[in-house]
Amino acid sequence: MNLLPHVVNGVALGVLFGLLALGFMLIVGVMEVINLAHGSLFALGAYLAMEIISPRWLGAAGEGFLALPLALRYGLALVLAPLLVGVLGMGLERAVRRTYGKKAEYGLLLTFGAALVLEEAIRIVWGPGEQNLPVPDSVNGGFVVGDLIYSRYRFFAAALGIVLMALVWVFLERTPYGARVKAGAHDSEMVRALGINISRLRVFVFAFGAALAAIAGIILTPIWGLRPHVGVDAVIPAFLIIVLGGVGSFWGAVIAGQLVGITVGITGGFAAEWSMMSMYLLLIFVLTFRARGLLGKKSALEA
Amino acid sequence: MALTNSVTTKSALAGARGVGWVTRPMLVTLALLLSFPLWAETVGLYPYLGIEVVIWMIYALGFNLLLGYTGLPSFGHGAFFGVGAYAYALCHQSITQNPLVALFCGALAGGLAAALVACFIAHRRGIYFALMTIACGQVFWFVSMKWHSLTGGEDGLLNIHRATMSLGVAHLNLQGNITVYYFVVAVLAICLVFLWRLVHSPFGKALQAIRMNETRARFVGYNVWLTKWAVFALSGAFAGLSGGLLAIAQESAYPNVMSVHASGFVVMATLIGGGTVSFWGPLIGALVFIVARDLLGALTETWLLWYGLLFMLVVLFKPEGIAGAWQGYKDRLFRRAAAIPPPITREAENGSV
Amino acid sequence: MNNHQVTRGMQFTGAVVLSIALLAGASCKKSSSGGDGAKPPIVIGITADASGQYAASGDSDRRGVLMAIAEFNAKGGVLGRPIKWVHLDTETTPATGSRVAERLIKQDKVAFLVGAMSSGVANAISQVAQKYGVIYLNTNSSSPSESGENCHRVKFVWDGNGNNFAQASVKGAIGKFGKKWLLITNDYGWGHDTSNGTRKLVTKNGGTIVGEILVPQGTRDFSATLLKIQQYSPDVVAAAVGGDDLKAMRAQVGQMKLGSKYAWINNQQDWPDVYGLPRTDLFGVFGTTWYHGFDLPGVKEFVARYQKENADSKIKTPGNVFYNGYWATRSLLEAVEKAKTTNNVAVIKELEQWKIPAKDRMQDHDAYMNPKDHQLQQTVYLASANLDSTNPDDLFKIVSNTAPGEVEDKDSEAKCKLEAYEATPAYEP
Repeated sequence: MNLLPHVVNGVALGVLFGLLALGFMLIVGVMEVINLAHGSLFALGAYLAMEIISPRWLGAAGEGFLALPLALRYGLALVLAPLLVGVLGMGLERAVRRTYGKKAEYGLLLTFGAALVLEEAIRIVWGPGEQNLPVPDSVNGGFVVGDLIYSRYRFFAAALGIVLMALVWVFLERTPYGARVKAGAHDSEMVRALGINISRLRVFVFAFGAALAAIAGIILTPIWGLRPHVGVDAVIPAFLIIVLGGVGSFWGAVIAGQLVGITVGITGGFAAEWSMMSMYLLLIFVLTFRARGLLGKKSALEA
Repeated sequence: MALTNSVTTKSALAGARGVGWVTRPMLVTLALLLSFPLWAETVGLYPYLGIEVVIWMIYALGFNLLLGYTGLPSFGHGAFFGVGAYAYALCHQSITQNPLVALFCGALAGGLAAALVACFIAHRRGIYFALMTIACGQVFWFVSMKWHSLTGGEDGLLNIHRATMSLGVAHLNLQGNITVYYFVVAVLAICLVFLWRLVHSPFGKALQAIRMNETRARFVGYNVWLTKWAVFALSGAFAGLSGGLLAIAQESAYPNVMSVHASGFVVMATLIGGGTVSFWGPLIGALVFIVARDLLGALTETWLLWYGLLFMLVVLFKPEGIAGAWQGYKDRLFRRAAAIPPPITREAENGSV
Repeated sequence: MNNHQVTRGMQFTGAVVLSIALLAGASCKKSSSGGDGAKPPIVIGITADASGQYAASGDSDRRGVLMAIAEFNAKGGVLGRPIKWVHLDTETTPATGSRVAERLIKQDKVAFLVGAMSSGVANAISQVAQKYGVIYLNTNSSSPSESGENCHRVKFVWDGNGNNFAQASVKGAIGKFGKKWLLITNDYGWGHDTSNGTRKLVTKNGGTIVGEILVPQGTRDFSATLLKIQQYSPDVVAAAVGGDDLKAMRAQVGQMKLGSKYAWINNQQDWPDVYGLPRTDLFGVFGTTWYHGFDLPGVKEFVARYQKENADSKIKTPGNVFYNGYWATRSLLEAVEKAKTTNNVAVIKELEQWKIPAKDRMQDHDAYMNPKDHQLQQTVYLASANLDSTNPDDLFKIVSNTAPGEVEDKDSEAKCKLEAYEATPAYEP
């Protein structure tokens, strides 16, 4: 009976891990760029949301805004901050563009540079200290099931994560634009031959991926805490989940998130000192038997 | 691709007379390095920095066997560097204080650790290869933090005092930074000669064949798995050797050199220097990388920002790194001076290989 | 050798020379200027972290050191010599700490090294410092091993450590909250040291340890740990979790409002880490060495001076980290003045006998240096979140203060083997 709470917790954690990897998955799947700036975009999203929720720089003009209920401002931040980060993603894509057709290391190195720049920029603007991204009281606190308290926010975050994943799925599978994005992932030459503007598609995908990173940041930093280098904590699990699930596979990322979440949740409950290591061992174990991850297909990145 | 170009040109030319053991650029490099303690202070540097630069040169040269020659990006090499440092320290503490023996232990341990990892990843390519190296590197890092009794946990192994080295007839006292500097330069010289011969050997050709097209290399008859396994283990041994040298320099072995970040740094140093186009790239990269880090760190607290921008600019405008930029510049200069029609373009030449 | 290769040799030479020239040409130091006096300046090398986990605390530490330096320069320096400083980032990485220490000593020719947050970095620096005989002040690293197995003749430790705080809290907490204790331990050296200290004290005072949860370093999600705590249902939870892990745990405990469900005994909470956080994140009882809300003479003036000189800081009131940086530097410079020389052994001997009266120190009891392990013995305070105030700066409510004699860390003292004076190279900058 002691096991059940940890499994439930692991499932919720898994959703959050899946959410974390979503933007990363999209960019690496379609553009074959390993976006190491994912973590910094994640952090930037959270910082921007913090500013939108309480715009101290507005001075007196912000007073009226601050009088609005937190839930409203939070909701606004959840929409606006990712849009801003998406615009930044478009800018980043212009730089990344120069590495198309070259080896994957170049895109990786460029985005690593961008990650350093973004992280340092955050440190300059907001200082190196710990910040706090407030969440509405209605989703804060704990609730009791059996005789255990669970975090309400965590389940709210997981629910939000499921909604977002569903939206991404609907977009990829049920809209014509999604079909193009998927086609771009499989065979960009063919897409070009069909007369689709591939550069515009790439700008869009990069912006979308960046926005998803930002949303993940807004949802996860109330749990992790917010500091300039929080992105490093985000990018490595995202990486791991993508590889575990198979590069470019939506369901792969979702399932891998669950696998990692449940593994970490259960080891966290019963052999806590192994909880960090468990995800890497899981990865090595799976990849030893399934070379391209759970649901991965052949990718140009292997060449 | 350009590496093949220069290397094939060179080996074709050298083929007639064989590749020398010691080449002129090697001598120039060593002369510059040997004279460094004389002019270091005047340009605002210090001998200890030289030690770290040379250690990173060895590290990056070994790493470039994998990245530049075989086209395999490893993001977990810090693990072998760290294993080498621990092995050196442990050997120093409990087996012998002779630095040469302890260094051999370091290289061996790095090589063995890499050989083990290579068993899991030698059949991988591209992104899966890179990601598996990250995962394996992380496992090493966790083990080093957890296995407190062996590695000293997050404090690392301290007080690995520099010893006097007996060379039969003479004794070399490794106390001072300058002596250690000359010692690491001597190690670098040996590594340079060895690696220069290696990349021009049939083994080196096999590496390049794999980088250009693994499937074709297999059809031509190379044992691709074994070659990849061997080059991974070998470059791990070089990382272990450099780790051992760092343990001499710092008189300690710290776990942080095994982190993902630290592993990423050697990839960067190698790429920035131009490891993909030149044998000498890693040397330039290590030099620029360490010196820039030191100077920027002294210049500004926001050094990470400038460091990141530097990387972005290199990738955007000179993706072949410093060596590549220099080659391009020389090529243009040469063409203009000789006023001859440009030779066959690289792409065309590659196509004909 | 063909022509092609010759040019390549030249290329490489050119590249090497060019890059060195470019970078070295740009090398001017980020440091204080001035000092044209007749006597050569005394240079202090600041080794506070500017990036990595402890960047925020490192910033406070540095500001504390600078305020002490400014104070002495206003009086005309020390021994008639102006004081200059150089600051280098140690990146919260021991290997970098080692390089930075070499650089500061050999190239910048510093007289003293000051600054530390992480014990790993402090170890690396102190080892280099000991090699050259340079005095090093570990301002803010609170690992017991710093004045234990990793102590050095040239190193002085200015912060209270985990064992000090545990002694201040455990006995009282057993009486007040209960005997069933659960340990949450960060799974690395510092965490284990601290938890073992607590465990000993708990059993000595008649309590029992019902369990220990090991939390790996780098943990960001504590949900499993928090569930596990509830399954144990202890009376007291003693947490030895540090760095970013603690920040994440704080946020999650605060979110679930678990802070009030158990009696939490925490280690020292550094001011830069908690500044600006909601009060619910500051759960339980925790240690500190100084608070700006003390009702002691001199505190108000000290705070005012901080605010005047650090208007650019996001932290509007000084905290323990700043305080330690300031006091370490001030004591060092006073010791130099008293010794009338910068000779390392003379200054070390002064510092080993160092005493700071409570009224200067702005604490409740006199502080003094333990000559056997080089740790400053000082008043240790326990605090909890101040729920009576809404002032964002007035976060703590001081619960108790304990005299230094009652919280001595005998375990570390027993492990410390200082190098002999003769084995420490002479250094007189």
